Amino acid sequence: MNYGYCGQALRIDLTKNNIETEKLDPKFLKDYLGGRGLNVRRLYDEVPPNVKPLSEDNKLYIGVGPLTGTLFPGAARVNFTAKSPQTNILGDSNTGGFFGPELKFAGFDQVVIEGKAKDLSYIFIKDGKAEIKSAKHLKGLDVFETQEKIVEELNDNRVQVASIGPAAENGVKYSGIFCNQVRAAARTGMGLVLASKNIKAIAVRGTKDLKAANPKKFKELIDKMDQEIRNHSEYDIRVRLGTTKLVSSLNELGCLATRHFQTGYFEDADKVSGEYLEENYKQKEKGCFSCTIPCSRYFEIDKGKHKGLKSEGPEFEGLAGFSSRVGISSIEDSLKAIDMCNRYGLDVITTSECISFTMELYEKGILTSAEIDGLKPTWGNSEAVFKLIEKINKREGFGDLLADGVLAAAEKIGKGSRKLAMHVKGLEIFQADPRGIKGYGLGVAVATRGGDHLRSEPWFEFMEDPEEGKRRFGHPESAFRLEYKGKGKVVKFYEERCVLADCLEACKNTLVNMEIISFKEAAKLLNYLTEIDFKEKEIKRAAERIMNVERAYIVREGIRREDDTLPDRFLNEPLPEECGESAGSVVEIEPMLNEYYKARKWHIETGIPTLEKLKELDLHEIAAEFKKKGIIKN
Amino acid sequence: MYDLKIVVEKVEGFCDLPMKKGDYFTVKGGKIELPDDQHICLWALQSLMPIIPAKQRELNEKNDWIPHTKRITCPDPNGRVIFRIDRIDPATGKIVDSKQEIPSRIQVNPDQCTGCRACETVCAFIHTGSFNGKRARINIEKIEKDGKDIPYICRQCGDAPCVKVCPVDALSRDKKTNAILVNEDKCIGCKKCAEACPFDAITFNENKMPLICDLCEGEIECVKRCPTEALKFNNSPGGDKK
Repeated sequence: MNYGYCGQALRIDLTKNNIETEKLDPKFLKDYLGGRGLNVRRLYDEVPPNVKPLSEDNKLYIGVGPLTGTLFPGAARVNFTAKSPQTNILGDSNTGGFFGPELKFAGFDQVVIEGKAKDLSYIFIKDGKAEIKSAKHLKGLDVFETQEKIVEELNDNRVQVASIGPAAENGVKYSGIFCNQVRAAARTGMGLVLASKNIKAIAVRGTKDLKAANPKKFKELIDKMDQEIRNHSEYDIRVRLGTTKLVSSLNELGCLATRHFQTGYFEDADKVSGEYLEENYKQKEKGCFSCTIPCSRYFEIDKGKHKGLKSEGPEFEGLAGFSSRVGISSIEDSLKAIDMCNRYGLDVITTSECISFTMELYEKGILTSAEIDGLKPTWGNSEAVFKLIEKINKREGFGDLLADGVLAAAEKIGKGSRKLAMHVKGLEIFQADPRGIKGYGLGVAVATRGGDHLRSEPWFEFMEDPEEGKRRFGHPESAFRLEYKGKGKVVKFYEERCVLADCLEACKNTLVNMEIISFKEAAKLLNYLTEIDFKEKEIKRAAERIMNVERAYIVREGIRREDDTLPDRFLNEPLPEECGESAGSVVEIEPMLNEYYKARKWHIETGIPTLEKLKELDLHEIAAEFKKKGIIKN
Repeated sequence: MYDLKIVVEKVEGFCDLPMKKGDYFTVKGGKIELPDDQHICLWALQSLMPIIPAKQRELNEKNDWIPHTKRITCPDPNGRVIFRIDRIDPATGKIVDSKQEIPSRIQVNPDQCTGCRACETVCAFIHTGSFNGKRARINIEKIEKDGKDIPYICRQCGDAPCVKVCPVDALSRDKKTNAILVNEDKCIGCKKCAEACPFDAITFNENKMPLICDLCEGEIECVKRCPTEALKFNNSPGGDKK
């Protein structure tokens, strides 16, 4: 019987056409918890530095956690991990929806996909088994069509599909893996890794039982959490608007990424806000598997040029990406652009960065219309945005240049454009301006998968409670978004909360932003659910261990302190006057980094984990490897 | 036989006759009496006619809807005049409320369903210990291309076709809760109940035993967990949108 964990992984070698199951050692589960933790550790061990991300030697790991598929609110998530073809370092992206739970019901905690299929194929996993099926007839189909076709041909509407779209088949570096149409594991190009293995989709169906070791206690704790969620001060706004609330709230704070971060205030924010979407287009709330705080929505446009456009979503990242970031004031055009990305299978953050970057270069005269295939990408030019998305998807004309991501594009364009590429370690940053949220700035700078906010989400800096700041992180300033003191500790803390969420595979809305369960409660939850004995201390240590394995992985790939930084604009150009309280602000990255490395017990000059820290976390073999390779000298 | 007092309780929209809130007429035996200076709309009267003789009489058929039907609406879509029918004891002249309470039921509104399947998961868990929704007595059909999410669950029909059609009397009704109960010793797995169910609410486990909502013991877990009131359990009118 499966209690929380299935205790089993599936390994699919596409080159050898070999499928086998592997038992998962309870110690491995205990040390790496699930999902992201299992994937990252395997990646570290199985994909050494010389592996090219698009070669047969790269491997794609699909991991679910002990909570996935259970009653836990929003226990829906699944991580896709590989060496990233976009950044050449850690590739890892997760999503919600219904795919993860179905994989658990099919009897697996993890799937490893290696090698390369001869022809375009899809994998069908059902109840402890898997088969490779031809996907020749799915070639070039978009995400929505692919999923619909597979469900239809497997003749079971309970089948869940994770698929790529045409962007991945065409070789776009920031193509993602999508479930339930719009649920995207979009970041770091995991879709392209799947495409490089000639895999169009993974379908899964599970009818196996999954139980709790102590059902009574488990249910009691879940009931308590349900109550806590419902009584939480954020409950109503999250159900009404979800993450789209951030468009207006960040704009009020003066740090909504506007016209490629030239300012933090968008004058038309109220026309593209979550509130406007709710009032005019929202049909109903939508939720992931087992979610009692449904933060997604279904919308429909019933008139105008996008009449008939209907979909689940969007999230903040897409909405702001295709409104303020590119200067579009028509929410209907924003929704259209997001829908295009979803169907093609593109990451909305990277796509909107590549396009807004192009717009700024065009504005500054660094690029001419002739160089952009005759387009005139002025701010807010929706038609140019649609055309560029199409060109990126097809790698056609200027789109081919943008299809490798903003850093690669800047390197090709030259003319000082690299300074304007809004990325960290080759991954584009999201639609909030770090100058107005400095803890987030630090989080994005040090994130192990490159410039991303979902690795730390240090919401505490909105708290504005100096007493709490002092109590929790030793500095009253840590509770204020425009201060930098204490942020090293704040980011460390929330990085480990994010690890916990990504390993148990529960939603960060509840686990990180609402801090619904403590490490102590997480231990209780796992003890009632699984047959493994977990202690609070061990879970905390596991979260820190996983952070260090990720850091070790990217250090082994060559990442050092100098890579843990932000684009020049955030460090040197103060936010302009219209940004209210945030005006005049820049990110003081160096003192925050010093504090962060100190909190992490990493080497201050290099950002490399110290031997002492590695050993403390039982990472002796990594310590030995680093000594042998001369990464750590002493 | 009862006398009836039929009162305009509410006017939704516009009635140009007009019928006004508080207008009434009485039915005594075979005749209608109107107070001085009042009238009754012909359209409203014709829609009230079939229920008048039924409400005058005490009907004791089990699960019949007539005893707890108290309101009838005029058919004009522009001015919905809602009439309340009160039964009067002719001996005392006092209003007698229906002896039968309106039973509460599961009420479903797919337009509010988020499709999260929290209901399925908790139902399966409570009844079998497994989280897998295939063991649930409620099922959510998700039609992703239209964003539709449709819950399928027993509504505790008054005159339940599943009970009537069962050839071996394996289905019965819980006297207290009104839930349909399955006697697995009697059930032969013929699936006739599922065919008869007007709500497509019955599925089967691997032993061919029907999975039918038993309204839990105590709190109804799926209703409790539903985040949007797509599932409700009550006896108020207009809850079920299917």
